[in-house]
Amino acid sequence: MELFLFTVCILGILGLVGALVLWLTAEKFKVEEDPRIDLVEACLAGANCGGCGLAGCRAFAVKCVEQGSLDGLSCPSSGSDALARIASILGVEAPEEKMRNVAVVRCNGSCASRPRKYVYDGAQTCAIMDGAGVGTTGCSFGCLGCGDCVQVCIFDAIIIDKATGLPVVDTDLCTGCGACVKECPRNIVELRPLGRRERRVWVGCSNRDKGAVARKECSAACIGCGKCMRTCPFGAISVSDNLAYVNPEMCRACGKCLPVCPTGAILASFEVKLPKAETNEQSQNI
Amino acid sequence: MSNHKTFRKGGIHPVSNKNASRIIELLPLPMKAILPLSQHIGTPAKAVVAKGQAVVRGQVVAENASFVSSGIHSPITGTVTAIEPMVNPQGKPGMAIVITASHEQHEADEIARCEYWAKLVPGESDRTLSEKTSQDEIRSAIAAAGIVGLGGAAFPTRVKLSLKPEQHPEILIINGCECEPYLMCDDSLMCTYPGRVVEGVELMMKAAGIDRAVIAVEDNKPEAAKALVDALDTAYDIKVEILKTKYPQGGEKQLIEAVTGRRVGSGELPISVGVVVHNVATAFAVWQAVATSMPLIERVVTVTGDIATEQRRNYIAAIGTPLSEFPFTLPDEARVVVGGPMMGKTATRLDAPVTKGTSGITVLGQTRRRPVQACIRCGACMDACPMGLEPYLLSTYGRMQMWAEARSAMVADCLECGACSYSCPSSRPLLDYIRLAKQRIRK
Repeated sequence: MELFLFTVCILGILGLVGALVLWLTAEKFKVEEDPRIDLVEACLAGANCGGCGLAGCRAFAVKCVEQGSLDGLSCPSSGSDALARIASILGVEAPEEKMRNVAVVRCNGSCASRPRKYVYDGAQTCAIMDGAGVGTTGCSFGCLGCGDCVQVCIFDAIIIDKATGLPVVDTDLCTGCGACVKECPRNIVELRPLGRRERRVWVGCSNRDKGAVARKECSAACIGCGKCMRTCPFGAISVSDNLAYVNPEMCRACGKCLPVCPTGAILASFEVKLPKAETNEQSQNI
Repeated sequence: MSNHKTFRKGGIHPVSNKNASRIIELLPLPMKAILPLSQHIGTPAKAVVAKGQAVVRGQVVAENASFVSSGIHSPITGTVTAIEPMVNPQGKPGMAIVITASHEQHEADEIARCEYWAKLVPGESDRTLSEKTSQDEIRSAIAAAGIVGLGGAAFPTRVKLSLKPEQHPEILIINGCECEPYLMCDDSLMCTYPGRVVEGVELMMKAAGIDRAVIAVEDNKPEAAKALVDALDTAYDIKVEILKTKYPQGGEKQLIEAVTGRRVGSGELPISVGVVVHNVATAFAVWQAVATSMPLIERVVTVTGDIATEQRRNYIAAIGTPLSEFPFTLPDEARVVVGGPMMGKTATRLDAPVTKGTSGITVLGQTRRRPVQACIRCGACMDACPMGLEPYLLSTYGRMQMWAEARSAMVADCLECGACSYSCPSSRPLLDYIRLAKQRIRK
């Protein structure tokens, strides 16, 4: 019995001393951290996508709390609700709701419209294929179709359509973080605003060759004829280097440019319904 | 076993297939010459002619845009018809000057050119040329002629020869190895114009301020070595060194080790061990520039591979000649490679031109890569790598996008010789990923 009590006392004292040392150490080396950082981080999507331009969600939260506002910061992955909650944690006004961006693919050279001319048997990544030359088709600007953009997308928002050989963006899943834009060696993917009622119009081509050259390699290539530019009632379309560009700020997604395009290079996220007679008249006028 | 020297680490012995005719023929001048502004390493040249302007053969059409850059001359007499993006053999567009020949002048050009080359073959050697010409005169002639390294990398020769005495250049190595399989342009040049090559070496020695030169030739080219030895002049300290055949002996660092035993450190230039390396074709071009004031508008191009024996030839072709002008019939499903099979690049567009760095056109019939299999950790790539790198590791870093690790594993030392991919029993695309990693860490 004596031995038992002795053991309990010794171990108890040792335990207390240990606890004291640990407590003192913890007090001495305590890191003061703003508790709001954890709260802010909890609001974020936690995808660490890098879409904000910082090293991850934690870095974003630290920066928010440090500057005490959301000025110049935005998280494409979390949405406006999360930003409003963060604003309330920081005690500032919620930022204006901005339209979110989504990725669009500026190439419409499907297997049907852009014949495969060459055999490529090297490593199956776009970056290497682009370094080796023109790719499997004659177009030196178009999509290579190996899916580097699919590989980097952490939201599984891009897949390669087997039928066309082109990437397809799922706008519900896409957060507009821009990882695919950075990855694409041919700079085909572009971030564009989702658009009112999800209506978007863009040029589905990146070919800057002269019209005849581009047309020879791909039947869906933009030939830089400028018909769309002359048709657009809002002056949203410009043509430079034989390639049309739709300015998303000015475009109202009326869809008038789609039927006049001789190669069908302009794409829209909605169905364009225009009577056929009107279309013909328009193209004759031009 | 021969006791010839070679480099120590790695290397492979691909089938050489050097079976083209050694006789150099003149390829007719093209009616349309395409001159890309970027034919060399460094800044693209700046065009000094305008569209519609008439030019004569040998006239400067583009000049140096910076220190590391090179001028370009017109190979034909005619009119500048366009300055616009033209495709390279890989199908990528780049700015180029297009010159269309005038019919009357074309024939005169052709006759003058035939006479010029006919004179070179037997011609009396002027052994006092390098004594008569001053160092500055040689250097300015090289700069004016737009000479770049003709071994393939196309680094401006003017820059490489502008050495200062405090850099202590000791040995000039002239690369006549031509280790690349199939190609024979340097071999045929050494056999046909050995005297001119040696005189070019003498001029280069004077331009660089070096007293000692070694012309390195692999032991599979005994005729070339003999021709050079016969052409040597005892007044100069030039030696012909015969090396054991091994790929990639023509790599700058491998060649220096093979000839001198010195090793160039990682990221260092050959001058750090007192050596300057130039190609034999460059030496010949220097002689042409100094002795005949001929700018670099023509070069020897080998056409070889899986084509009829009588079509495997060496040509003197004007720079800017479209690849389709070369007389060879393409077999079905063939692959046209610009350069040799190891380091060359597959060409998809035959309307693209010969550039200063084009040493040959190799046609490979029905050659496809074997299906990729898993790495079996055999280490064949490590044994083959002439730089002592670990290609399987670098390639994995490239595939996994681990650029920082690739950098610390010395991926930048890779010379892209392709010995790793060649030796891999699982036919993995090792070099593809290593090249990607090299590009990314440079950014």
